[in-house]
Amino acid sequence: MEPTRQDQRTRRRPLGPTFVVGAALVGLVVLFALISFVWTPYDPTRVDPTVRLVGPGAEHWLGTDKFGRDVFSQLLVGARTTLFVGFIAVGVAAVIGTPLGILAAMTRWRVLSELVMRGNDLLLAFPALLLAIMFGAVFGASTLTAMIAIGIATVPSFARLARSGTLQVMATEYITAARVAGRSTLAIAWRHVLPNIGAVVIVQASVSFAIAVLAEAALSYLGFGTVPPTPSWGRMLQESQQFIFDKPLLLLWPALAIAVAVLGFNLLGDGLRDLLDPRLEERR
Amino acid sequence: MLSKRLLKVMAAPLALLLAACSAGSTATAGSTDTSLVVAFAVEPENLDFTKTAGAAIPQVLLNNVYEGLVTVDDDGKIEPALATKWTVSDDQKTYDFTLRDGVTFSNGDKFDADAVKFSIERVKSAEWTVALKSGMDVVEKVEVVSPTEVKVVLSKPSRDWLFRMTTRIGAMFSPNGVADLANTAIGTGPYEVAKWTRGDSIELKARDEYWGDKPAMKSVTFKYFDDPTAMNNALLTGSVNVIGSMQAPDSMSQFKNDSRFKVIEGITNGEVVLSFNNAAGPLQDIRIRKAIKYALDRKAIVDTAWNGYGTLIGSMVPPTDPWYEDLTGLYPHDPEKAKSLLAEAGTPNLELRLRLPNIPYAVAAGQVVKSQLADVGITATIDLLEFPARWLDVVFKQHDYDMSIIQHVEPRDIAQFGNATYYFGYNNPKVQQLLAEADQGTAEQQNTDMKAAARQIADDAAADWLFLFPYLAVTDANLSGVPKNAITESFDVTSITRS
Amino acid sequence: MSNSIRQLARRALILIASAAAASVLVFGFMSVLPGDPAEIALGVNATPDAVASLRAEFGTDRPLYVQYFDWADGLLRWDFGKSYVSETAVGPQIADRLAVTAWLVGAAILVALLIAIPLGTLSALRHRRFTGLVVSGLSQLGIAVPAFVMGIALIFVFAIKLGLVPSGGWTPPTEPGKFLSQLVLPALSLGLIQGAMLTRYVRSAILEVLREDYMRTARAKGASSMRTLFRHGLRNASIPVVTVLGLHMTTLLIGSVVIERVFVIPGLGSLLLDAVANRDLLVVQGVVMLLVIAALTINFVVDVLYVVLDPRLRGS
Repeated sequence: MEPTRQDQRTRRRPLGPTFVVGAALVGLVVLFALISFVWTPYDPTRVDPTVRLVGPGAEHWLGTDKFGRDVFSQLLVGARTTLFVGFIAVGVAAVIGTPLGILAAMTRWRVLSELVMRGNDLLLAFPALLLAIMFGAVFGASTLTAMIAIGIATVPSFARLARSGTLQVMATEYITAARVAGRSTLAIAWRHVLPNIGAVVIVQASVSFAIAVLAEAALSYLGFGTVPPTPSWGRMLQESQQFIFDKPLLLLWPALAIAVAVLGFNLLGDGLRDLLDPRLEERR
Repeated sequence: MLSKRLLKVMAAPLALLLAACSAGSTATAGSTDTSLVVAFAVEPENLDFTKTAGAAIPQVLLNNVYEGLVTVDDDGKIEPALATKWTVSDDQKTYDFTLRDGVTFSNGDKFDADAVKFSIERVKSAEWTVALKSGMDVVEKVEVVSPTEVKVVLSKPSRDWLFRMTTRIGAMFSPNGVADLANTAIGTGPYEVAKWTRGDSIELKARDEYWGDKPAMKSVTFKYFDDPTAMNNALLTGSVNVIGSMQAPDSMSQFKNDSRFKVIEGITNGEVVLSFNNAAGPLQDIRIRKAIKYALDRKAIVDTAWNGYGTLIGSMVPPTDPWYEDLTGLYPHDPEKAKSLLAEAGTPNLELRLRLPNIPYAVAAGQVVKSQLADVGITATIDLLEFPARWLDVVFKQHDYDMSIIQHVEPRDIAQFGNATYYFGYNNPKVQQLLAEADQGTAEQQNTDMKAAARQIADDAAADWLFLFPYLAVTDANLSGVPKNAITESFDVTSITRS
Repeated sequence: MSNSIRQLARRALILIASAAAASVLVFGFMSVLPGDPAEIALGVNATPDAVASLRAEFGTDRPLYVQYFDWADGLLRWDFGKSYVSETAVGPQIADRLAVTAWLVGAAILVALLIAIPLGTLSALRHRRFTGLVVSGLSQLGIAVPAFVMGIALIFVFAIKLGLVPSGGWTPPTEPGKFLSQLVLPALSLGLIQGAMLTRYVRSAILEVLREDYMRTARAKGASSMRTLFRHGLRNASIPVVTVLGLHMTTLLIGSVVIERVFVIPGLGSLLLDAVANRDLLVVQGVVMLLVIAALTINFVVDVLYVVLDPRLRGS
């Protein structure tokens, strides 16, 4: 198979600072999550009334919360929740949205294409938070249901992107050549379309990841997020907001962690875009 | 250069907006002498407590807007209200009430014996749908003797009935005032509803023609906050005067150490119950139920979940009930005993579903319970159920749970342990008989029977009582007359004064 | 021209079909919500008889399709039905709350534009220089903060520590002083973050415009860069920005629920949350339908504008 155009471009370009910073921040979150599998200073769910609301120190690096749980341990395990949140939401959106978009662009039946894109518009009319609240009411509050809802609400972004990307690819000469050569539609989609729109999808995925992390925090605040005692940065924020007077640090740590993750994925997305789409970079 | 100038042009309106806003920022709400703003968490869905359960409606309306023949004071004693006095026949079945003269409803109607007959009979009719109406089942008939005298005849003696008359079912309505109860409340009380801004607040206004002492506050606004921190902030910045029910006890210290505020700690009727499903699943085994009770350190639960506020109780009886007995020593914290009971029951690696309503105290206490159970080898999985809708459906109606945590707020709700179909699934004929006898006997017998029932329920480990929910109020330092306890459904604002 | 009219008719037809599909979706969703409004109204100790009679009163004992057509029929006449819980008409309830949220969202958009236009322009003009980098960095940081954290922090500083404004609450604009003092913090919390987001759109829109030929021509002719930018640049850049704002409108309307909760504002979002909790189904259906129809209509208007404004899109 001939190398795709994207491949040739990537090789030439140096990594931008945006990409590096973004990747480093995302790496930090991943590192936290990985560490949490092998080691945490304390059991993050163990309640210990004798060490309630201890300040940062040698025993508890970032202090403890009102249940006497170690904040640093919770932050470490919370990174897992954050990654889980993003993967589910983005996974659902990309796995449903991308094929739909390709289908809409490639199908010969106009009705089908029209139906997919109108359905897409309809879905776009349901705000993500609204869907998450409704899903929470129907299936019960949990991280999974909330993120599936966020994922479904994000489907249209991926579908639109995939469709316009596919239309561009379809207009190129080598697709015409492939068609003339009698390749099946499925083979064309798999061999040529997907690799070519892969880059934009990944960029979108990175940005959607950041949005999902913020959505989890908002839903936790409203009580539709992660179920306790599973550590989650959003819920840590929600639980510690009443301590803004006495222990503002309790609020700071999870807020910082969320900011790092969101910033990381947003920058990573921007960096990837610069990297993969030189046309945009030149224009900046 | 261009960008700098542009920035200035664009920034000017923002600065203007900020200036305009801070100009009008003096805290004004509730700062006049005769108006008061009280903060609560749960807003009433409507104004009709005859059809809608829950404490939010009577909290604002009972005693403030509606009054009954009798009322209950801060210590749980029955006092005259619209009835000046009453006599009870020797067979305990006939009550003769003498009514207060010159009382009017807020629509101008006169309060008289016909209104009493109408109100009591209405509770028995299909118009009332809340379950509490069963308190009136025992009434056989109501007779109007004269405009100021009413005779109520019970079908059997009931110690409980007069007490129930102090709750919402004893509220007096005017026959012409019940057309639109959901939106219009017409009572004999010192206040009437002046304005309701849905989603925000209910404003009560003092009535000039009230029969009794006029309240000091001419206007009282009940303001509702979904978010506990927002409620605290409102008090700190002076936009409310009273927090009627503190939802974030961990923030109490900021008020205690501030001379601008006064903290009131009292008790409620709300037993925070760790309920067990006695009828299905692993908790049918009394050894496991007892093991759980031994595994729990209730002091630690109150300390961590509710910042140490709340009274430990060993049974379903709050200390304000006459038959209260201290049973807190029955199940001391003893993890070893818990483990041996579990071993005896032959259930290693026990897994239980702890299905919690998404209410702050339940979520907080549930996490501590889970952690303490883990220490004796029980894995409790927490499910959060949206309250009320899903919790009612799953736990309360379908009994699809092993353990749950909820506050039982109704007065004298120990009676629910006599109901085998209740979600506890607790069926002990002995307890059922004791509870039935208690209602019909003398005051002494009632005391003995109720004590025996409470002890039996605790012996059977039918549930665990984590703590008695505290009444925590915070007020401006210059207020007095704020209720000291919350043992009724009402938050009585009639005697609040400002110095 | 007839081509455009046919285009418009087609879009209108799609709008109507989508709205109808949405109503079925929304109703279907409500009917699978666990929890029975009658049971919830009656509370924990309700008798089965009472529940049955209340169900009959609500009409929730009828077959689903009857309930649907009853509701849809009302919708067509702009009648949202009567709430199970408050026993008042749903329409006016939603209108009251919408009015509140509209003020909040409007003010937030104003704040957002006041931030995004100068900053976005600045960072576009200076995009390879330090200032541009700082602005881009700040906007990235702004997006990374959860809205309610922003709200809590603003309350802490401006309401509690400095005592400049109330910590929350809502007063109708009939009392302008109080209204503004209570509006400023929530509008800022929502607006700062939206502003950070919008800054990026403005930046790329302006960058795009700066590359256009007419801008180069204007500059080459010696027109001052300030005037050129105002005359041509901002106007052209505003089209994509307004489109983005329009498409995000419903997200903003519902997304403000978090800020409404932090600042105790009786808006549309809190109505929705309360209604979901109490299974006040007609209110939930009403709010959701309203938002969906609003989104579809905005979409439609954007489509129509494109057809009308952009000759290249005609006939495609």
